[in-house]
Amino acid sequence: MEGSPGGAESFDALARELGAVFARGVDAALPEERFEELALRAFGHQFASNPTYRRFAEGRGRTPDRVGGWRDVPAVPTDAFKRLKLVSGEPEEVERVFRTSGTTAGPGRRGVHHVRRVALYHASLLPNFRAHLVPEGGRLPFLSLVPRPERLPDSSLSEMVGVAMAELGAPGSGWFVDPDRGIDEGGLWRGLRERTDADEPVLVVSTAFALVHWMDTMDREGWRIVLPPGSRIMETGGFKGRSRTLPREELYGAVADRMGVPAGRIVNEYGMTELLSQFYEPVLREGRGNPGEPDEALPDLASRRHVPPPWVRTRVLDPHTLEELSPGGEGILCHFDLANLGSVSAILTADRGVASPDGFQVLGRTPGAEPRGCSLAMDELLGGANG
Amino acid sequence: MAEDHPFDAWCVPAFLSTGDGPPAPASGTVRTTAPVRTVESDRTGMSARAHPTDPPPPTLRYPELSTEQVELLGAELRRARERALLPRPAADLARVLGGVGARFLDPADPLRRRALELLPPTAGVSPSMAKAILDGMAADWTPGRLLELLERELADPTVLDRFVPDGSGRSVRALGAPLQVHLTAGTVPGVSVTSLVRALLVKGAVLLKPGRGDVALPVLFLGALAEADLEVARAAAVTYWPGGDDPAENAALTMADLVVVYGGDATVGSVRARIAPTTPLVAYHHRISLGVVGRGALGADLERTAGAAARAVALFDQRGCVSPHQIYVEEGGDGAPREFAGALGAALEVLEGELPPGAVEGDEAAARQQLRGTAELRTAAGEDVVLLGGAADGWTVMLDPDPAFEPSCLNRFVRVCPVPDAEDVPGLLAPLGRHLQSVAVAGLGLRTAAVAEALARVGALRVTSFEGQPFPPPWWHHDGSGPLRALMRWVDLELPGQEGRERDP
Repeated sequence: MEGSPGGAESFDALARELGAVFARGVDAALPEERFEELALRAFGHQFASNPTYRRFAEGRGRTPDRVGGWRDVPAVPTDAFKRLKLVSGEPEEVERVFRTSGTTAGPGRRGVHHVRRVALYHASLLPNFRAHLVPEGGRLPFLSLVPRPERLPDSSLSEMVGVAMAELGAPGSGWFVDPDRGIDEGGLWRGLRERTDADEPVLVVSTAFALVHWMDTMDREGWRIVLPPGSRIMETGGFKGRSRTLPREELYGAVADRMGVPAGRIVNEYGMTELLSQFYEPVLREGRGNPGEPDEALPDLASRRHVPPPWVRTRVLDPHTLEELSPGGEGILCHFDLANLGSVSAILTADRGVASPDGFQVLGRTPGAEPRGCSLAMDELLGGANG
Repeated sequence: MAEDHPFDAWCVPAFLSTGDGPPAPASGTVRTTAPVRTVESDRTGMSARAHPTDPPPPTLRYPELSTEQVELLGAELRRARERALLPRPAADLARVLGGVGARFLDPADPLRRRALELLPPTAGVSPSMAKAILDGMAADWTPGRLLELLERELADPTVLDRFVPDGSGRSVRALGAPLQVHLTAGTVPGVSVTSLVRALLVKGAVLLKPGRGDVALPVLFLGALAEADLEVARAAAVTYWPGGDDPAENAALTMADLVVVYGGDATVGSVRARIAPTTPLVAYHHRISLGVVGRGALGADLERTAGAAARAVALFDQRGCVSPHQIYVEEGGDGAPREFAGALGAALEVLEGELPPGAVEGDEAAARQQLRGTAELRTAAGEDVVLLGGAADGWTVMLDPDPAFEPSCLNRFVRVCPVPDAEDVPGLLAPLGRHLQSVAVAGLGLRTAAVAEALARVGALRVTSFEGQPFPPPWWHHDGSGPLRALMRWVDLELPGQEGRERDP
């Protein structure tokens, strides 16, 4: 690699080491010194092999020999992925390209994440998914309201569900939404009924958007079901861009009412195309998701939080100064994700949140609030809604 | 820390009020009182005050009206209109309203002083900005300007008083919608007062709910109107409530003969869904404004043009529908676009001192981090992007070779985009569609008319100068339509010999 200062280590060596870290799973924390060491090595690699990022870091005076720790590593805004190719490596080393969900109308720019090693993505997503959605182990039928990866090859979410389904899905799993044709309503209803008749608990995987639609469908068709105890739902999104069309409490209430899955078994996933790791609410993991386990002990929605896997650190920063806020302060989320080895690990979002002892709470925009000014924010003008 | 002085964000002359107590309906009807609610100021720290010693926004108090009370209020407003507005010549109303408006311009008037005290904390603007905005807005609230508005928009304003022959054999009468509900955005203080005044000028009773940032001026205005002419004032009511799909707001929307809403597209959509198909809706939705600088303004005029453009960017902290997000600059002139960007930055730097920025919301700051960081990375990637900025984050100029339009994160963040020719610009604006509003142009010389025509065809509603961009004249075609006409209907009298005769009102 041209101009790589200080003999930065190879991607393969680091990736192998990270793979071992991921394989340890999410139960044991990664000691701070170990995280620091890996983070600085990741930064060193990215600085050496990503010329755009290197010049950006140099411009800020944050070079590997000058940063004190991972907190000093300069963070790239998520929006930059809409404009630039951010690869730590050669173009021919990119194995896969993921894109944020785009707008069908208008000139919206989609964020693009060039992934150098898909296997690293798989290795990081699986233990996290398993721990939070199938904590008791084994397999169970996946009913997906996320399109299959063959239909949306540039969706990291579809890829993730595909990988999880292959590893953890039982017979009876299926894909029930198509990007062009929408929800396969009859198919999903049949699938749910068959699993219920067989008394097999299921995992329903969905975007918040699709879940709202599915609730409307069940309403319209007069469908109601009580899924077998132990059934659970993963829903994702609803925080970015437009505010939820249906408040969470109402959506979860509708789900409990029409599908018999209590709020304590609905796990929200917060993720983004620009970050290969995901953040889950640990509600199932803490309750172990065992059938028959009482749900009253589970925390109410307002006090839920998302927990990073051991190889990610999330800070809440003051949006004006980018300084880390003391706990309880509301600011913007900034992640350092070791799984992003092949692109950029330090990512600055525009998502609002609050730190909690072991994670953070994602806050959407203030309900009903709109950007001040008669003018528009990027999302609204382009009609975009990510995730 | 300064004590929190709550601000009573309502003024309802139709109801008797006992000092600071909550409003109660007029005698003769069932006495009820509305519980007073409060909206806490933002103390979570996501928004930054202009200066750390600035007071936080005050707690707002407002009456939580039940649907019955909203309907009761509506009935009172209609009665007041019949008694006090309909019989009065519109020109008279212009004089009364203008008399109150003019007080805001008088340095000796305690009303102006109170307004200037309240604007910075309630609207999140600096004291200098408050003064600039108030002076700009209130200049159009004087008797002379309101009379001129009537005349320019209606040729013969007496059509608001009686049937008037129009020369074609018929007579015409203009009637303002009898009971109007106005919901304003709160982003630019003073817009509520203009909206209120327009309604009363066309003799419409009006219930106005200001956006949170614009509560002070309409409350002060209506209070002063009640002192000057209580009977007219009773035909208006101003009260804050948190906007949304709730019973009281829906009751207001249901009883209205016409609804005016200022706000984002989502708000407008929500309101549209909650009014009857037969109710006219005047929707001032999201709008984007821009600038175009031709070669002719890049020579001797460069600094002056940059100064005017900077003021257009800085006013309202760029949150107005008229505020330019992006300025296209022609290449090939005496000065390069890079020079213009530099001059614009220098002018914004001066304005940072003269017209300091106000409070910046956390979401806005977050958006700015995204734009700035992305610009830095694009420079690092070898693109010809140049970022100029104030040391205290008070302004940002981004020179960007990519001419595609991108909304600004506001708070004085402006993109300068070189274009080979100004005639290329209208084509670049097509994606904005119905969001395009004002385009300021300079230095186009003889090409101005052609460019204006092309801009009009892609949806621009106003082609103006940078100097004129921030404060349109009262009779501007606000979002494409006459502001008074939007609130009125025309009635034709086609029976010859029945044309309006001089009658005592």
